[in-house]
Amino acid sequence: MRFFNHKTFIAVAVIALAVISTSCFKEEPLNAECDIEMAWVHVDDLEASFYNANDTLINVISNEDKIVFSMRDDADVTAFAPQFKITPGATITPASGTAHDFSDGPVTYTVTSEDGKWSRKYQVSCNRMARYTTSEIDFDFEHFELDPLYHQFYVWHNSLADGSLGDDWATGNLGFRLSMSQAKADEFPTSVLENGYDGHGVLLITRDTGPLGHMGSNPKPIAAGNMFLGKFNVAKALFNPMLATEFGIPFIQKPVRLSGYYQYSPSAPFTDKQFIEHPDRIDAGDIYSVLYINHDRNGNPLVLYGDNVLSSDNIVAVARVKNVNETNGEWVKFDIEYEYKKEINPDMLANRGYNLTIVFSSSIDGATFEGAIGSTLKVDCVKLTCEEKE
Amino acid sequence: MKRYIATVLISVLASMSAWAIMENDGGCQNLQNFFRKVEGYGRLGYSIGGTAPMGMPAEIRKLNKFILQPNVSFGADLIKPASERWGILAGIHFENKAMHIDATVKNYHMEITKDGQSLEGVFTGKNDSHAVQWTFTIPIQAVYKFNDKWKLKFGPYFSYVTSCGFEGFAYDGYLRVDDPTGPKILLGTTKDDRGDYDFKEDVRKVQWGMGLGVDYFFTRKFGVYADLNWGLSGFFKSSFKTLDQTLYPIYGTIGIAYRFK
Repeated sequence: MRFFNHKTFIAVAVIALAVISTSCFKEEPLNAECDIEMAWVHVDDLEASFYNANDTLINVISNEDKIVFSMRDDADVTAFAPQFKITPGATITPASGTAHDFSDGPVTYTVTSEDGKWSRKYQVSCNRMARYTTSEIDFDFEHFELDPLYHQFYVWHNSLADGSLGDDWATGNLGFRLSMSQAKADEFPTSVLENGYDGHGVLLITRDTGPLGHMGSNPKPIAAGNMFLGKFNVAKALFNPMLATEFGIPFIQKPVRLSGYYQYSPSAPFTDKQFIEHPDRIDAGDIYSVLYINHDRNGNPLVLYGDNVLSSDNIVAVARVKNVNETNGEWVKFDIEYEYKKEINPDMLANRGYNLTIVFSSSIDGATFEGAIGSTLKVDCVKLTCEEKE
Repeated sequence: MKRYIATVLISVLASMSAWAIMENDGGCQNLQNFFRKVEGYGRLGYSIGGTAPMGMPAEIRKLNKFILQPNVSFGADLIKPASERWGILAGIHFENKAMHIDATVKNYHMEITKDGQSLEGVFTGKNDSHAVQWTFTIPIQAVYKFNDKWKLKFGPYFSYVTSCGFEGFAYDGYLRVDDPTGPKILLGTTKDDRGDYDFKEDVRKVQWGMGLGVDYFFTRKFGVYADLNWGLSGFFKSSFKTLDQTLYPIYGTIGIAYRFK
């Protein structure tokens, strides 16, 4: 009889072993990512190449594949040797730290993942800028295309002083795509207005974020159409959307007035973050611009986000259109002056120490997901006037 | 759903007729005889286990936490001896198969779909999952008696889920949208910046699997038992696409048994 007992135990032991073996942890898979996370350059004479030290280091946003070093117009970039921090285990060609001639335009770097299955191409360039450009800058919104990654929503380019196109305008369209992956270009919150005040304009419409946007205990039921000078960092778009909008681009002139044309049409019903209707509230649009100091007291880079772009102590000047309300289908001209809260430091201005943003939104409280689906803001022919240089 | 109920019914009927054949003659007398020899057992146990993929994928790196759950199980079994050593067991158990785990994953593919819109990608970070399922389970097993003390049991079981849940959150990591080169979405550790999920609607109501167990009776009436119930139907409906791997409930139960007949 004892003999059988042993057999039983053996049987149980075999089963136990089978369970353990199937639940064993396998060897760690190699990294599949292939990002440039950071790019920087060391130059012997900083003053000769860059306006300030912060411009020598760029934290690369995951959804960007263009890396632009902003440099002095007379900087020598024929043997420029940028260095890169890439995903652990990944490889980069040409190698990090090798010198290349950037004077003829961008150099393409390819990063391949540790597991060899994935790769990304990055365009690295040196943008050599003159200190002073024209005192009037026109934004006509005529340069747009479908986004390079998905070919699904519009992105805009601005005309630069040398005639080339820049990527200074950003929108939240990529964030909207997270919940509405099947949306078409004209169903995104920010799209092209075919018949603008002159040529094409920008069409900003507060949108429903769909079934995924309404999910969970922390819903984001609507997405206001938005457009701004700065960068959209999709990393924060889902859970800290206030931090996804990195407002501002370095700006080297003193803005005086902002003008342009808009149409606004509020929709109904007005809803809050929990998608509860508030019949007493009427949606409004928002058009404003902020100039701010782009570093802290210790000189470290600083950017303003959705939660502090109108309240930070670093703000120097604000221009904001009051009461963007129903315009009954007519184009309305806005022409507003910047109100300065602080004196401009000309040296700091010349050395890219200030950032400027211009912001359009189809729902003034869209950042906190309050507004009315369908509220529409149309914008065109925006002109930024800066102080004339003596 | 109907298909599974049919499977259960056919299995029960098949074992009934098997018993009838064993008896070899018909009529009421036969039914009395049949039950005269049947042994009856009551069981009260505690289960431990998990709802897991068959074979751990390399994407699951580490189990950070395994929190014991109130997995009580109770029920009754009837054993009809067919020969000196062999018999057949049928029973009904009411049991909870719950788990609460926290695991670290790397490049774990997932897709959240709702009403035609989807968010697909690979997640690297931590995941806290809490599964609950209260079931009525019918085991149908062959029994081999080594002696009066030891019995080995083996055979299928069928479960009907009466209440269930599968919820949790992905946190402290990031999702690469579509593939590892796509936009990187950060997930934090607070309730506001982590990714909550609830897949309750996707849990399969009728499940089945194989059971293997052993009984040890230290007196004529009282004994202990250990069972392993290995799910062979996925925990989620086949339409559920969020996770790549099919998850199977695999639970071990230990408990006390009482022979009442």
